[in-house]
Amino acid sequence: MNRDRRQLVLMLAPYLAGLALLVLLPATATMTMAFTHTDLIATSEFIGLDNFAELARDPAVHAAVGNSLSYLAYSVPLRLVLAVGLALLLHRRTRGAGTARAAVLLPGAVPELAYGLMWLWLLNPLQGPVNQLLLLGGENGRTMFGTLPPQWLTDPEDARAGIVLMSLFTIGETFVIVLTARLALPPEAYEIAELEGARAGQVLRRVTLPLLAPVLAVLVLRDTVASLQASFIPALVVTNGGPPPYATTYLSLVIYQEAFEYLRYGYAAAVAALTLILTVMAVLIQWRLLRRWAYHGLAGMGTHRLWG
Amino acid sequence: MKRTAALLSLLATLTAATVTAGCADTAEQTADPVSLLVAGTPDELAAYRALAAAYEQATPGARVTLIEASTAKDLMTKVSTSIAGNSPPDLFLINYRNYGQFAVKGALAPVTARLAASASLHEQDFYPQAMGAFRWQGEQMCLPQNISSLAVYYNRTLFKQYEVAEPAAGWHWNDLVATAQALTRDAGGRTVRAGEPETAGTPVAVHGLGIAPELIRMAPLIWSNGGDIVDDPNAPTRLTLDTPQAREVMQDFLELPRIGVVPSDVEVEAQDYEARFAAGKLAMFVSSRRVTTAFRAITGFEWDVAPLPQYRAPANILHSDAYCMTRTSANQDAAWRFLEYALSDPGATLMAKTGRTVPSRISVATSAAFLSPGTPPGRSQIFLDTIPALRPVPTIATWPEIEDATGKVLENAFFHGDPLDKVIRDLDAATRTVFERGAASR
Repeated sequence: MNRDRRQLVLMLAPYLAGLALLVLLPATATMTMAFTHTDLIATSEFIGLDNFAELARDPAVHAAVGNSLSYLAYSVPLRLVLAVGLALLLHRRTRGAGTARAAVLLPGAVPELAYGLMWLWLLNPLQGPVNQLLLLGGENGRTMFGTLPPQWLTDPEDARAGIVLMSLFTIGETFVIVLTARLALPPEAYEIAELEGARAGQVLRRVTLPLLAPVLAVLVLRDTVASLQASFIPALVVTNGGPPPYATTYLSLVIYQEAFEYLRYGYAAAVAALTLILTVMAVLIQWRLLRRWAYHGLAGMGTHRLWG
Repeated sequence: MKRTAALLSLLATLTAATVTAGCADTAEQTADPVSLLVAGTPDELAAYRALAAAYEQATPGARVTLIEASTAKDLMTKVSTSIAGNSPPDLFLINYRNYGQFAVKGALAPVTARLAASASLHEQDFYPQAMGAFRWQGEQMCLPQNISSLAVYYNRTLFKQYEVAEPAAGWHWNDLVATAQALTRDAGGRTVRAGEPETAGTPVAVHGLGIAPELIRMAPLIWSNGGDIVDDPNAPTRLTLDTPQAREVMQDFLELPRIGVVPSDVEVEAQDYEARFAAGKLAMFVSSRRVTTAFRAITGFEWDVAPLPQYRAPANILHSDAYCMTRTSANQDAAWRFLEYALSDPGATLMAKTGRTVPSRISVATSAAFLSPGTPPGRSQIFLDTIPALRPVPTIATWPEIEDATGKVLENAFFHGDPLDKVIRDLDAATRTVFERGAASR
């Protein structure tokens, strides 16, 4: 082993040890537990595929898979578009840009539980500021468009929309990464675009987005992995999985309830395994789509290969 | 040289500190610290801290370590994970509706022999209904701390203002509904029929009744009507809500929103029943004794409690928490000594003064510490009068799941008007496999 390689191994060693001890080992234990009946009180009992057979006919799990995938489908792209939009808007050093950047970052710094409780108040159907705002200009308890305000905590569709809405304000980390990536883009590319008379929209489509593509791809994959867990606190604190029966019951909430409320750790481990499988599938699909996009370029723009 | 001296003195200080800490540890071990895991509101937790302090003061050298959980579910998690981690609390306080899985799995140390040998605690000191709820396969598994039940909390000021007769013992469900109708008022004081806030013409200022659509709220009414909620209370395999007696009660219960006396789901989400009652927006509220502490802070109006209405015969549901000792506790003798104090007259009196509990110890329940003349509720005696009519829900490991599963179906049916047959089918479908799992774990 040469000196560089030895140095690399040495530097990686603490991380690898942490990864093995804190991630791989518990993950292996969880996957093993999925084949057992475990309640942490009596001795675990091997039950083969029984937990997985129960998963297949559990209405809570069916609802949770649908809700989790729908959350992923709405939340991930919306969060990315919002983060990219704000980063492109605020990357210039203009008056107030620093304050605006801090404002985008701040919600992410609020502890998750406090953030959930704050939204419980914001989305209060009668006294909440969100609905009070929507009622401005309307009459008889209706909005200015004559519609009823959303019933965030009692209507299934509105409740799911509320959970996605909550996720749109915690984009600070994504925003910072996109902002940094944008600031690192070569100014020459923009100078050439300007010399060629490109309009703002063309610069965005043909210069900025293609150059940011590798970063955006990583962010999409990262957000996908995180999103199946990110819905947990809002669903627990704000909607408690409801309105009933399972309007905002996500896989992460099912895992929590089965393990920590009903002491069915084996079954919860099986739901965790299902979550892992769904996450891997979602990442693989996106990976393939992104690779295709990378090879063929954005909006038919050349065959510039961005990675791999 | 100076540097060496400094290092040596630092080393000496550290050594001294370690030795001192070691000595302190030894002292603690001889003091037999008892770990007690409890869940509750800040008021309740403060009462347990006071109880622990009083015990330490009354018993020189004794120590109690209080482990606090925020909710009953959090407590369940803490108990199971600590048992798995081989560091269980010596004692924990749990509701009988949740203790089944710990009893079934052999996680508890029976206290039958200790109770028989005790010089200060005797079985006859406690209400038998509460003792029975914690008996498993002939063994007394835990000792009850309280024996509560459902009652109707009512805003006496509103009753007087609208000249509505106050509820009397033996009142029927229909009387409750009629009273609720008479008390559902708009801001001008006119009787109105409540509806969805966004579609109703006149907003309701006061709703006549607040009652959560839960199985444990319906159960006493079904028992009162001569029905039952399960096929066999000792070994239940399914819900029996399809009997004529149960159907009648469920129909009446689920009709409350259509009659227009209860807040809608939107209103309940905006402000829960307890807060509504405290704000004077609810004339009557069905709950157990646990809300008393919070309601004692009400200054804007007079309130009291009335018995739960009935159908054919008096019936009520047992609400009881007990101190349970873990089987693997290494400190059972000290834990028992604490239990003897906690359930003695002085210990039980301390908890009774919080107002939150109906003491399981008869001498304290019938004393001024609980009946608290001059402090609301003035009719605390109704909690004692109903004791002979108390019934427990079945002891089954999966009961918490059954309550959650039925709660979802009933909430939907209550607020969205599902047909009764569908509700009964849905309840059965949601619980059949949960009962099966509960039966399998026996």
